[in-house]
Amino acid sequence: MKLLKLLLLPFMGAVVAAAFLWPEPAKGFLGESSRIVFFHVPCAWTAALAFLVAAGYSVAWLVKRQPHFDEVAEAAVRLGLLFSVLTLVTGSLFAKIMWGSYWNWDPRESSYLLLVFLYSAYLFLRAAVDDPERRARIGSAYAVFAAVLMPFLVFVAPRVTASLHPQTVINPQGKILMDIPTRTVFFTALAAFTGLFFWMLEIQSRLARLDRERAKSARGGAV
Amino acid sequence: MSERRPGFFSRAWAVCAKDAAQELRRRVAIASIFFFAATALALVSYAVGPFGLPPEARSRLDASLLWVILFFSAATSLPRAFVREEETGTGLGLRKVAPGVVVLAGKALFNFLLFLAIAVLSVPAFSVLLEWQVRSPAGLAAVVLLGGWGLSIVSTFLSALVARAGQRNVLFLVVSFPLLVPLLLPAIAATIQASEGAVDGTPLRVLAAYDGAATCAAYLLAAVAWED
Repeated sequence: MKLLKLLLLPFMGAVVAAAFLWPEPAKGFLGESSRIVFFHVPCAWTAALAFLVAAGYSVAWLVKRQPHFDEVAEAAVRLGLLFSVLTLVTGSLFAKIMWGSYWNWDPRESSYLLLVFLYSAYLFLRAAVDDPERRARIGSAYAVFAAVLMPFLVFVAPRVTASLHPQTVINPQGKILMDIPTRTVFFTALAAFTGLFFWMLEIQSRLARLDRERAKSARGGAV
Repeated sequence: MSERRPGFFSRAWAVCAKDAAQELRRRVAIASIFFFAATALALVSYAVGPFGLPPEARSRLDASLLWVILFFSAATSLPRAFVREEETGTGLGLRKVAPGVVVLAGKALFNFLLFLAIAVLSVPAFSVLLEWQVRSPAGLAAVVLLGGWGLSIVSTFLSALVARAGQRNVLFLVVSFPLLVPLLLPAIAATIQASEGAVDGTPLRVLAAYDGAATCAAYLLAAVAWED
């Protein structure tokens, strides 16, 4: 993890610089607006990854019943929410330039907003339960259930109605419609954001573990 | 002679029958659900009925309003599936006699039948009050059945999760709404098609896939959700 931390700063710096300097802006988009793809899509990818990691650790908690798994799942959901909000913000900036308004009730915008609500509900649900064991059980069951239905919200519902959103990376043709410089920066940005997520997840999980140990020792001291 | 142990479906049916008997005994709960649906219908027809809208906008608006009425009428009863057991202190007894998956199936079945009863009364009334025409009744029936089952299974599972949490009624709406939107959107799309003519298979396939995924997930997680 130390190596990842050391590599992340120059790696992210290089991605940001390349995103603005290397590829030509894509045709069919106003001004430099197409460059948002190097930040918007990696944020959306990282959010989806975070929610899948949360589901994976929730399954692990259901099987092993160890508090660490629940702590990582909760940390992953919090980070997933952060990246989802960043996805909404970057998408709104693009929408303002391209369509003249920050919010257009486009099916993709709306489904991403609902995704934020869906995982905010996970935090509400946890906050409403006092007993740590029951909180972990209910939270894990919800995280797995939500992960099963999440694809309907993110991938299926936006395709039921017409959308203004540009063609996604996962498109009906099954082709990545990008030139070589755009493709290189895009996939490097995906890797950099993924690394950033795992580094942040490690810090958050460590903090949660320290909190649990401190609470345990405080209880021991009180007795 | 050894007695034959009742199977999964007969035990689930017994849970469903128990819930129905409990609700019918306290008539006020059932009556208030139907009264809510009637009030919502009256409000919608009073607010929207007199206005002439272009046919395309009208059909979209009517389908959306119909599902808003069905969803919120059902939402007044759906969270009660497990909450009632905790409020009356019967949860422990039920845990002793039936595993979580049987209880979940029975309660989902009861919620489904209740949803169908609401739909059977609301849809014709909606059609009369708003002069809403359905050109494909079979298509609409398929949408109501698939939409109703998805709504019931997801709500019943979430009811089990929130049953022992604080502020459960508010929490149920917070938790259920984002999970039910991917069900309501294709249901509305298919209802528009049913009112305009034949239902194209896409929204129905989405509904069936959603129902299948939600049912499998609820089946696998039922024991955890209903664990003491």
